[in-house]
Amino acid sequence: MSTRTTLRPTDLRSLRDAVLDTAGTIGIAGAGTAAGWAGTLAQVDAVLDTTGLTGVITHNPGDMTVSLRAGTPLRQLQEELAPHGQHLSFDAARVADGATVGGLIATADAGPAALVFGSMRDLVIGVTIVLADGTVARSGGHVIKNVAGYDLAKLLHGSYGTLGVLAEVVLRLHPMPKRTATLAIHCSLGEAAEHAATVLGGPYEPAAMEWISDGTLLIRIEGTEEALDARLQRLRTALGTGELLDPEPPSDERRVRRIGTDESAARRNEAWGRHASLVRGAPGLATMRIGVRPSRLPDVLADLPTETVTAGLGTGVATVSLPPDAVEATHARVHAAGGTSVLRSRPPQVDVPAWGPPPSAIAVLRAVKAELDPQGRFGPGRFDDWM
Amino acid sequence: MSLDGVVRRAFETALSPEDVISDPVRCRSYECDGLTGYRVIPQLVLLPRDAAQVAAAVRVCHEHGVPFVARGAGTGLSGGALPVADGVVISLARLKRVLEVDPVDRRAVVEPGVTNLEITAAAAPHGLYYAPDPSSQQVCTIGGNVAENSGGAHCLKYGFTTNHVLSCEVVLPDGDRVTLGSDTGEQAGPDLRGVFVGSEGTLGITTKITVRLLRTPETVRTLLADFPSIAAAGEVVSDIVAAGIVPAAVEMMDTLAIEAAEEAVHAGYTVGVPAALVVELDGPTEECDVQFEQVKQICDRHGCTRLHIAGSPEERAKIWKGRKAAFAAVGRISPDYFVQDGVVPRTRLAEVLDRIAGMGTDAGLRVANVFHAGDGNLHPLVLYSAAAGETERAEKLSGEIAELCVELGGSLSGEHGIGTDKACSMPKMFGADDLAVMARVRTAFDPRGLCNPGKVLPTPRLCGERPGKYRPHPLEEAGVIERL
Ligand SMILES: Cc1cc2nc3c(=O)[nH]c(=O)nc-3n(C[C@H](O)[C@H](O)[C@H](O)COP(=O)(O)OP(=O)(O)OC[C@H]3O[C@@H](n4cnc5c(N)ncnc54)[C@H](O)[C@@H]3O)c2cc1C
Ligand SMILES: Cc1cc2nc3c(=O)[nH]c(=O)nc-3n(C[C@H](O)[C@H](O)[C@H](O)COP(=O)(O)OP(=O)(O)OC[C@H]3O[C@@H](n4cnc5c(N)ncnc54)[C@H](O)[C@@H]3O)c2cc1C
Repeated sequence: MSTRTTLRPTDLRSLRDAVLDTAGTIGIAGAGTAAGWAGTLAQVDAVLDTTGLTGVITHNPGDMTVSLRAGTPLRQLQEELAPHGQHLSFDAARVADGATVGGLIATADAGPAALVFGSMRDLVIGVTIVLADGTVARSGGHVIKNVAGYDLAKLLHGSYGTLGVLAEVVLRLHPMPKRTATLAIHCSLGEAAEHAATVLGGPYEPAAMEWISDGTLLIRIEGTEEALDARLQRLRTALGTGELLDPEPPSDERRVRRIGTDESAARRNEAWGRHASLVRGAPGLATMRIGVRPSRLPDVLADLPTETVTAGLGTGVATVSLPPDAVEATHARVHAAGGTSVLRSRPPQVDVPAWGPPPSAIAVLRAVKAELDPQGRFGPGRFDDWM
Repeated sequence: MSLDGVVRRAFETALSPEDVISDPVRCRSYECDGLTGYRVIPQLVLLPRDAAQVAAAVRVCHEHGVPFVARGAGTGLSGGALPVADGVVISLARLKRVLEVDPVDRRAVVEPGVTNLEITAAAAPHGLYYAPDPSSQQVCTIGGNVAENSGGAHCLKYGFTTNHVLSCEVVLPDGDRVTLGSDTGEQAGPDLRGVFVGSEGTLGITTKITVRLLRTPETVRTLLADFPSIAAAGEVVSDIVAAGIVPAAVEMMDTLAIEAAEEAVHAGYTVGVPAALVVELDGPTEECDVQFEQVKQICDRHGCTRLHIAGSPEERAKIWKGRKAAFAAVGRISPDYFVQDGVVPRTRLAEVLDRIAGMGTDAGLRVANVFHAGDGNLHPLVLYSAAAGETERAEKLSGEIAELCVELGGSLSGEHGIGTDKACSMPKMFGADDLAVMARVRTAFDPRGLCNPGKVLPTPRLCGERPGKYRPHPLEEAGVIERL
């Protein structure tokens, strides 16, 4: 193995210089929480470590927007926002492990809150990126409503460090809910799907709804201090079952104590903590992220040799752990159901395909890569065998 | 130049002869969109009947180097569907089937020519609706909405077109048919669907769109509140946000806009007040009731001079009618006007309105304001009289207002798009490198540059020309749609 250079820029200028002054291939690294996801990074000449690019640039509480450097751990951002009663409505499991904002965008990750707020693509309103030839480009801006020019943030969302380096991002924020509560129902996946239909078919507006494979359906409700109990009561009546898990201490006092992260809420709340730990995967197994039409999810999951499952019954997105030799068949099964799949964590030295069959637009993807990174410098191997 | 016989016959084979319009008089119906100041008559207008014919037509363009422009309903306000003189217009008007409404998975699959409101109409029996609601929703097509990433009054809470499109089938500029996005929000690889949405018809033609549907809210509550100043109304908006309330809509109108609207539709607005707000909350009844009380208190705190709560769906409709009529109604108080579409950070609303007023005074022109206060999206109406020779001054003022929005940290456009109208202002908002990278993305989709050329990104040719005057869209004149 050749000696690898590690570049650790601390601002936009030194980031650009680092890219320009380095010859050869570059692996873009954030906190390393998803280092093994997607295709295996090939031998690279240099690793560009973004964890020196940290800090909030501007937070405008009245506009509910924040701009920050992409190497900032999201957890840290949430802590800074909490005293203002604001947060990024995003709760991917690895936020708790220190994942950076840039890495979360690059991996198109999301947590249970995606049911209402979507993934990072729906929360990023502006980006500054650095391309492999040193070009610095900006798109979007600081306002939530903006249709000027192409949305480069979307292009980087899910690009796994292969198209450019996210240097700075602007995010849209939301008010922290005054109160949060979770209803738990012990049931099979099939029963959970029926409950989910009731919840989604009524005026209950769940903030998250996930089934986990130890046999629990978790339904999170967020709202005002005054109205939440009545809403929970109504939901419980409609479902005819459900256990209320540790109601949280009310509002303002909590806001001060709360580190402001959804993952800290998860820690307090064992059930969501369990959910997050299942999403992280298990030793000796492969973890895959799959997405299909929500109504097809139970059937698809029933066909897979899963060891653990977290299933978003409203979103159609599930994270599953299964034996590595089942990865290929899983890609095929999900693809046959019209869905998408990607390999996440896996045992070391296991060589299984990261991606399923290529999308119909693969030629466009290759053309985008060729335009933005013609020499293939960034993230070689991540999209094998697609490009 | 006219397209020679070979190319024309190729189009006639790809479609059918009667679906290829070459008569210049008929082609003239397609010479502009809602930005009627720019007009170009295309060589041919193609009226495909399905996606396969769209693909076949685009393939002919690709093989013969013919530029093409997709067209939905032609309600665009930035000249996005402006034809190219040596090219063809491909109208999607005949692709208007709702292919599927899936109440279980809460989504619909539609063809591009389906109107925005038709999606909600198809979803309504299931207690669902399609959230983005441009005020042209009765007429504008979902294909046009995808191209423009359209917004509307309720986008503050519910997001824009891009947040509601799961996937789209796209005919690429070489005639290939591909799907961007997937059945869920989950994606494998870069989000090409997200790049396509809002690309203003420059990356391909969408022929099938899968959209998310939302459950119709249980309760909707609407109020109309008058204030002694624009600043006071602005503070109300800030305080609502600070209270952690995300309203479904917050709209503001100033004296001139109120006067015009009230004269036109008698919606019960107070003529003469400096500012009025329309605030709407929706969601579970218990939540709405609590937050509505809070909003009322905030209004009182800022010197609200009159608070009118819609007591029935009819009253609610009336409040909205006044708001939505404001644009067209301005015609009653001024012979001509330009409509602008810029965005500022919400906290700078008072400042920007102040500066706009000052600029108006300096130019000797009146400016009416009616806008989406919740997301800082302004639609200043610059009033003038062409007969009095004020056109040039008004046009200049309107352009300066858009650029002022950029100066204050905002955007050149919040929902109407860049199109032909503002391509030349793009360098005010983006640097040369930013634009060059956008051009590289465009090249990846359209290496030959045939797909809606000249739009969005500035070109020397385009920027040598002068923007045109605003005229009401024929559908507005006919009273079919209203402008928000
Ligand atoms: C000092 C150091 C040495 C390393 N040595 C090796 C090695 O020898 N062999 C090896 O295989 N790996 C090595 N890695 C890890 C390797 O770089 C990572 O596998 C990969 O580049 C990214 O994982 P991550 O840390 O970024 O995870 P995350 O931060 O979670 O990022 C996940 C994905 O997002 C991308 N990404 C993260 N931040 C950004 C951003 N700002 N802009 C664009 N894309 C972004 C990443 O490229 C990655 O694909 C090393 C990492 C470091 C920090
Ligand atoms: C009175 C009035 C009120 C309006 N209010 C709003 C509002 O509140 N919010 C808002 O956002 N807009 C508003 N608009 C602007 C306009 O209605 C929207 O931009 C709308 O999305 C345009 O749709 P269309 O079908 O008319 O598209 P067109 O005007 O026909 O085309 C617009 C652009 O889309 C492209 N296009 C059309 N179809 C396709 C396709 N299938 N594939 C790819 N590209 C395509 C065209 O090439 C063009 O660039 C308003 C317009 C009017 C006249």
